[in-house]
Amino acid sequence: MALDPEFKPDHGDWLCAVCNVPLEQLKVQVFYMNSAFDVVLPRCPQCGMTLIPESLANGKMAEVEALLEDK
Amino acid sequence: MLEQSRLRDYEARCTQESAPRCRLSCPLDMDVRGFLAAMAASRPAEARKLIERHLPLPGVLCAVCDHPCEDSCLRRDLGGALSISELERVCLASVSPQTRILPRPAKKQRFAVLGAGLAGLTAAFDLGRKGFPVTVFDTDRSSALLSSFPCLPADAVGREWQDMEKNRVSFQNSDEAVFYSEDAARAFLATLEQDFDAVFADLSRLPLSLEAEALDPLTLHWQGKVCAGGHLDTTPTGALYASASRQAGEGRRAGITLQRIMGGVSLDAERDDDRQSRLHVDLKNVPSVPRVLPAAEAWTPEEAAAEASRCLQCSCMQCVKECVYLQKYKEFPRLYARRLFSNATVVKGTRTTANVVMNGCAMCGQCEVICPEHFSMADLCLEVRRDAVSRDVMPDSAHAFALEDMEQACGPDSAFLLEDSSLPDGTHAPRLFFPGCQLAGSRPRQVLAMYEWLKSALPGGLSLYSTCCGIPAHWAGREAVFEEHSAELCRQWEACGRPEIIVACSSCKSTLRLALPTARIVSLWEMLDELMPEVPSFEAMPSRFTVQDPCGARHDSAWQKAVRSLASKAGAELVEPVRTREATACCGYGGLVWNAQPELADDMTGKRAQDFDGPVLTSCIMCRDRFAATLENEGESWHLFDILPQTAGLAPEKGDPGLSSRRAGRAALRREALGAEGEVGEAGGTFSLRISDDVLASLERQFILRQDALEAVQGIEATGMKFRDRETGHFLGSWRPRRVTFWVEYRADEDGGFTLLRAWCHRMVVPGAIQPSTEIVMEKRIRA
Ligand code: SF4
Ligand code: SF4
Ligand code: SF4
Ligand SMILES: [Zn+2]
Repeated sequence: MALDPEFKPDHGDWLCAVCNVPLEQLKVQVFYMNSAFDVVLPRCPQCGMTLIPESLANGKMAEVEALLEDK
Repeated sequence: MLEQSRLRDYEARCTQESAPRCRLSCPLDMDVRGFLAAMAASRPAEARKLIERHLPLPGVLCAVCDHPCEDSCLRRDLGGALSISELERVCLASVSPQTRILPRPAKKQRFAVLGAGLAGLTAAFDLGRKGFPVTVFDTDRSSALLSSFPCLPADAVGREWQDMEKNRVSFQNSDEAVFYSEDAARAFLATLEQDFDAVFADLSRLPLSLEAEALDPLTLHWQGKVCAGGHLDTTPTGALYASASRQAGEGRRAGITLQRIMGGVSLDAERDDDRQSRLHVDLKNVPSVPRVLPAAEAWTPEEAAAEASRCLQCSCMQCVKECVYLQKYKEFPRLYARRLFSNATVVKGTRTTANVVMNGCAMCGQCEVICPEHFSMADLCLEVRRDAVSRDVMPDSAHAFALEDMEQACGPDSAFLLEDSSLPDGTHAPRLFFPGCQLAGSRPRQVLAMYEWLKSALPGGLSLYSTCCGIPAHWAGREAVFEEHSAELCRQWEACGRPEIIVACSSCKSTLRLALPTARIVSLWEMLDELMPEVPSFEAMPSRFTVQDPCGARHDSAWQKAVRSLASKAGAELVEPVRTREATACCGYGGLVWNAQPELADDMTGKRAQDFDGPVLTSCIMCRDRFAATLENEGESWHLFDILPQTAGLAPEKGDPGLSSRRAGRAALRREALGAEGEVGEAGGTFSLRISDDVLASLERQFILRQDALEAVQGIEATGMKFRDRETGHFLGSWRPRRVTFWVEYRADEDGGFTLLRAWCHRMVVPGAIQPSTEIVMEKRIRA
């Protein structure tokens, strides 16, 4: 169940508004229904707040969600 | 747990897999339909393969067959039966043999056939193909066939023998006396019985006088290790003749029995001779097409293809033709049943499309009406959904939104029971108006106006109960939720004195019947039809409508009649669509497909809309709203409320109000109806979030409510946990109030309000995007 490993923001040059630092592409583990996946996502290097781009949510993520649910 | 016996009940109802009449009347079980399809497509080699697979001694049989298939062909009265036998000959003449004979390793059991007639040679042919050595006894190889079928070309028999020899069928001369003396025949059979594992006696050749009952008609077993068959027939005038198909069929049937005798197993287990076709073929609108006859003596390939294409390719598929869901996986109910049941019993992890299949049905009940055997996909899918829920394998996302919506409709900001305040304390009105949550959501002002009018027109007062009937839980297979909700309905109904219930939605009607079996339930339309001998015309109304019966009212002729009567009294001319009344088609709202598979639901709406000629009039608000969203001119979709004088002027301007507005509408109805008491703490307060129509439409498509977006922006602004775009200054943040994460991209406006730019959502849990309930959400999900 390979999620493509890396996703960047669809647009924009995003800062963490809490820490006021630019986001970096960092590895995150995401979870759904007893499964976990490693993904590289835009993330605040200080507080860890993570961004899920629209294209990922409505694309690969939706696909994997449906797949897991159908198991 | 689903019982396998239930699967068999379902399977037995769908006859689509049963063979067409031509095939069943062929004693050799020839796949005539497949053969004709190949011929019609000008693929004679493929056609010949089918002949070789099904027919013994094809060169002989096709030359002399008396083709009972043609007598039963459904084309018979529509231009004439197909020339099946003729086309088989054309096919054999036009291409060379397609099956290479690869003898199987010889088996050790040996069979004997006494008499080289068509029955005997068929038995020998079939057994030889299975790898059994067979010895055929007669005076010579071909005279038996030639005397039964004088027109048979002599070389045809020789060619079949060449093939049979490759399969270890051998010939042995036997004494001529066997073929004219009964004693000699019986004596010879007795020796064969000693020397072989089983024996077939060809009655077209032997002077045996069998007692009719001595032969088992199903197995053709005669006595000991001997089967017999293939006798000649007598015409009424006493002439003898041979029916090639019957003789060959008997040879084949006996061949099977011989193997069972040899194996020492039951001769008749799992065999029956029921050759009645159960296949339903709809012959309505099939035009008659005359037989194609060859211009010269020989058929041209074009003539043969033209004749073959007259075949109706008999099949049922009547339900499938009407339902986009059933068409989606290119199968038919019998196969869907099998697929759903096998998926339900297979271990987790190997299931494939079961969820998609069970959640794609609109549960509208149309197939049950159309099907000659009344197969109900709705019953099947409901049973399978309940099973999936009980085993906890129902995907959460399939119905999550619909169930949340139901919860909201039954919850404190929407649901209410209003007793008639004009009545003295402690007394209850004899009737209760139950508008249903979708009508309340789409048309709160009309609901209230209708309530006021009914209250004035009906003696003794009227209560108003706005809540959901519970059908979403029923459709989702959530029996526990449905029962809990039914109990609540029952409590409320009893608390207000068990009144008669007036419903405006056909789904409410059927659901309340389940929830409150002892209540008297009547439709608003029948009530109005009685109360209003005349209905003043609404001036903005089109003069002509197509009527759409909601699927929930398909078996409710009183409902259908009242709707038509009211509309006619109001001056509308009504047109019936192709499928109407009990056969009406679903708008796509049923069965929660709109939630589980929105595109499929849209296809259903689109397909049904094609049946309308001009504006449509319906008595179901979901039909009305879904057609308004689909029809190019959204003004062409009308609800009965839009033409009745009590409510006509109060229709909202917009086509389909959508999910967010319906929620707001239900809350508004509550506030309006209850007055000051109806105020519940406004979640939004003074917080302002602007959402353009385009953005709202995109939210609706993703099942994100205006309220969800508002709460997300509000929550994010309160914690400050968000991203900021250095170029535009836009904000982006996530909010996970329940098992879904909402993302909102927005802009702060100068007046202190905000504008939503886009939103999306997902169900996966992403650490670093789970506010507000960090730990709880994480742990629940990971352990689940
Ligand atoms: S109508 Fe549908 S369910 Fe009924 S027999 Fe035909 S194919 Fe099967
Ligand atoms: S129309 Fe075709 S499929 Fe139907 S009975 Fe005749 S030959 Fe068979
Ligand atoms: S959507 Fe209606 S017609 Fe289609 S399978 Fe379901 S109940 Fe039958
Ligand atoms: Zn940060």
